[in-house]
Amino acid sequence: MAISPVYAIRETAQNLWRNILLTSATIITIGVSLWLFGGFFLFNYAVGNATARWEGGIEFVVWMNADGTPEQDAAIRTALDESPEIKDWDYVDQDGAFEEFKDLFADTPELIATVSPEILPPSYRVVPADPDADVVRELADQFKGRPGVRSVVSADETIRAIQKQADKIGIVFFIGSVILLGAATLLILTNIVSAIKSRGEEIEIMKVVGATNWFIRIPFMIEGLAQAVFGALGAWGGLWALDKWVISGFNDTDSLALLDGFKVSDSEFTQTSLMILGIAVLVSVIGSAVAVTRYLDA
Amino acid sequence: MIKLENVTKVYKGDVVALRDATVDIAKGEFVFLVGASGSGKSTFIRLLNREEVPESGTIYMAGKDIGALGSWKVPYLRRNIGYIFQDFKLLRKKTVYENVAFALEVIGKPRHVVRKQVPAILELVGLSSKIENFPDQLSGGEQQRVSIARAFVNRPLILLADEPTGNLDPQTSVGIMRLLDRINRTGTTVVMATHDRGIVDTMRRRVIELDGGSIVRDQARGVYE
Repeated sequence: MAISPVYAIRETAQNLWRNILLTSATIITIGVSLWLFGGFFLFNYAVGNATARWEGGIEFVVWMNADGTPEQDAAIRTALDESPEIKDWDYVDQDGAFEEFKDLFADTPELIATVSPEILPPSYRVVPADPDADVVRELADQFKGRPGVRSVVSADETIRAIQKQADKIGIVFFIGSVILLGAATLLILTNIVSAIKSRGEEIEIMKVVGATNWFIRIPFMIEGLAQAVFGALGAWGGLWALDKWVISGFNDTDSLALLDGFKVSDSEFTQTSLMILGIAVLVSVIGSAVAVTRYLDA
Repeated sequence: MIKLENVTKVYKGDVVALRDATVDIAKGEFVFLVGASGSGKSTFIRLLNREEVPESGTIYMAGKDIGALGSWKVPYLRRNIGYIFQDFKLLRKKTVYENVAFALEVIGKPRHVVRKQVPAILELVGLSSKIENFPDQLSGGEQQRVSIARAFVNRPLILLADEPTGNLDPQTSVGIMRLLDRINRTGTTVVMATHDRGIVDTMRRRVIELDGGSIVRDQARGVYE
């Protein structure tokens, strides 16, 4: 037996309106928890983008001139290989540099169109045996001014501190959002149980006249889903604001040049949005399924 | 139409509500269930509607063992059974029309069927002029007529009534019984639990008397005692 869409919408709207205060509290809790959860991912993306070149223990980068000679290049390689203080190094050629550039500026194709691999400098990403800041600085200085070397950039202690603090903040965001998601699930459950109890007589009549269990359940399940989707929409708006005014703000400030690349790409934002919508649906399914199976079919 | 074979129902605490009951009710019969409070009348009705399941014995409806039905099939069984409550159980925020239409909407009847059947049944029960009224604007007798309309709007084969005149005065009760009699004459089997001696003695239909969960009397054209 098919359930009429008009009936389902009317019943769902009545259920939501009947418990408007609890409904509002549920939607706000879902929205805040999903916003925290999504915010955790956006910050992780942004920090990852800003510090991508410093991943894997890389402590300094030797940038070569784009028009350097093979001999200059070979001299640097020999120095890197022969130094006992260097644990590992990786060479990023001009094509590799162009790929990184494209990733970093994926949102601005007009900028990518003005750049070609030939004008980008190749680089050596160096992992020292001892990551101590003084040792790294001293080691990096050995490469400055060598023939073919354009510049040497070392991972500042600030970057390491940002990575460390971002991890800690991320964990707090994550734990907080998981706790709030649990609370949101319980609120959905409570809201539906409350709706079931306030419609006890109606449900009794429905059962007596022969309504199927699914016919009775569906409006309650849609109610849970509606709350979750409204909450996810609120969270999406909050994440958009976070990206627009906070994360992008870091990138637009000249004094925070250290955080160049602290941004979230469109695809990362879309992924995060879809993820919070998926979590909202999951939370509503769990909350409403427990409610209808424990309190409706009994 | 309805057949009980050695049916026993026991509630928690070893309370025997129905003991080894065997009854055969033909299609189109009108049967009164009589007996003191706690004698098993309501349990008898609830067993027929599959709200309860017997501990032992078998209940057949139109030849089918309803105890063997899967839970998902029970709603389809109930579409063939109308149920009238003593306290009417009308939805206060719905009009007369909406209360009756609700019984059809929740079993998925199309809107054009609802629009056709609801006014027809409200005319049958004599409430055509009150379709926009809310239950609180009706007398007790009128509310019970709405309840009967809701139970009968889907034209069930069986009508179960659990003390339908229990909350009504004698004069109003007579009107309700006339209505049930009229429905019975359309071929619908009616099983009615009652304490109302006057009604049973006046109508002289089949009487099944229960005492302590046992059937102690089954009399055609019977009286209350």
